[in-house]
Amino acid sequence: MSALAEILFGGLFQGSLYAMMAVGLALVWTTIGVFNFSHGVFMMLGAYIAWQLVEIGLPAAVAFPVAVVVMAGVGWILQASVVRPLIGRPNIVLVVVITTLAAGSLIENGALTIWGPRSKQIPALIDGNTTIGGVGVSLHQIAIIVITPLILAALWVFLNRTRLGLALRAVAQNEDASHLVGLNVTALYGLAFAIAASLAGLAGIFMGGYRFMSPVMGSDPLLKALIVVVFGGISSISGPIFAAYLIGFFEAACSYYFGLYWTPALLFGVLILTLMVRPEGIFASRSRGLA
Amino acid sequence: MTPVLTVEGVTAGYGRVTVLHDISLEAGRFGNVGLFGPNGHGKTTLLRAISGLLKPKSGSIRFDGQDIAGLSARAIVGTGLIHVPQGNRLFPDLSIADCMALGAYSARARPHEAENREKVIKLFPKLAQRWRQRVRTLSGGERQMVSIGTALMSHPRLLILDEPTLGLAPKIKDELCASVMDISRGGVPLIVVEQDIEFLLELTQQLYLVNHGAVATEIKPGESLDHGEIMSMYFGH
Repeated sequence: MSALAEILFGGLFQGSLYAMMAVGLALVWTTIGVFNFSHGVFMMLGAYIAWQLVEIGLPAAVAFPVAVVVMAGVGWILQASVVRPLIGRPNIVLVVVITTLAAGSLIENGALTIWGPRSKQIPALIDGNTTIGGVGVSLHQIAIIVITPLILAALWVFLNRTRLGLALRAVAQNEDASHLVGLNVTALYGLAFAIAASLAGLAGIFMGGYRFMSPVMGSDPLLKALIVVVFGGISSISGPIFAAYLIGFFEAACSYYFGLYWTPALLFGVLILTLMVRPEGIFASRSRGLA
Repeated sequence: MTPVLTVEGVTAGYGRVTVLHDISLEAGRFGNVGLFGPNGHGKTTLLRAISGLLKPKSGSIRFDGQDIAGLSARAIVGTGLIHVPQGNRLFPDLSIADCMALGAYSARARPHEAENREKVIKLFPKLAQRWRQRVRTLSGGERQMVSIGTALMSHPRLLILDEPTLGLAPKIKDELCASVMDISRGGVPLIVVEQDIEFLLELTQQLYLVNHGAVATEIKPGESLDHGEIMSMYFGH
């Protein structure tokens, strides 16, 4: 019983963090058709900005939303500086890998210069611990498990039930036709990056509340998010969400039965097998689109 | 009548390749305009330059007195010049309802959304039956109806159609022709690119033969041509 509870809880928790990261990555891929390798840095920066705001005396309830909004601005600026000028070029996918990696490296080292290498921590969403099914868990983690699906649902409603969301889905499917109905394609690209950066920043705040932060804290989650989107299929945003939780459960089960040491190897083994059988990802359709 | 659209000395292309060489024409003086000519000679490129998808290297494009060459596609949509691109590729995973909402996205079209939706449904009743269906699940003819319907939602003052009958069965072509005629009678002038000469002769009053990125021949109303003469222009005999 407690084994099951532990795997279930661990899976839900890790899955939530992966989903928050992967959804932003998938959003940028589906709308713009590029991979954002500074996505992990967005996560780190969100956490550090939140830490800084708490440090100057703001309550967490103010600091966290402000950090998320600031991250939207950061995402927009990054898009305008290292992605937008390259749109329309051949090889844009590879070129943007380089430019976003470079920008990420700059921001990472900038954070190291500003905030130093010492580990930091930000306040938990909710303090305290409890026991569920014989497993001790923190209320912070439970809050993350509850909040994440709400945020993902809100994103779904935004994409599927609002005019602006409709415009984002349209741009993902056909850029020329989007121009011809008068959409502001450049602004929509900026918006996709802004949303992705906010979600990553929020994931960073979640992580900074239970684990020590460092300027490189985003690189492992970025790797995991990449696995998630490759595994789930990058052509939609629902695919990566399912895949995020699936991988969360898989990791939790592996860690429980085989130990943390074997988990990455097993995860990559499954990924390679998946790609051999279904190269487009398990939940994917062959076309790009937000659904 | 003064022309609605005047294209003067436009040169345009992709990268180093120039497709349009100093092309000039005007539309709206004698009614609807048809463009025809061999594939790969610049008809679609010309339409892309007019609607702002492609920035002309030189020349002027005037729509209703305003120079629109070099404006963004979005700004041009805002003037009421609406372009239906070739091949009804549109938005495959959106529903018809979504496409219609997108058509009415511009600030100019939004106040007329309900009224234009009625018009589209009246013109293409078939679409109403499939309103929530994804575009990719529709037939070629229905997809073309969605393309034209989306453009009507944009409240056009001039409608540009790029090969609307491409790949359609003859019966569906005739239906579409009748619908497009209705649109024209409703007071929206047309520019139509078409390979089907019968379709063009029925729909338009003025024809341009576009060859090697320039106007080779202009056929004004009254200078009616038969099919054979046009075919010989095509093939240069």
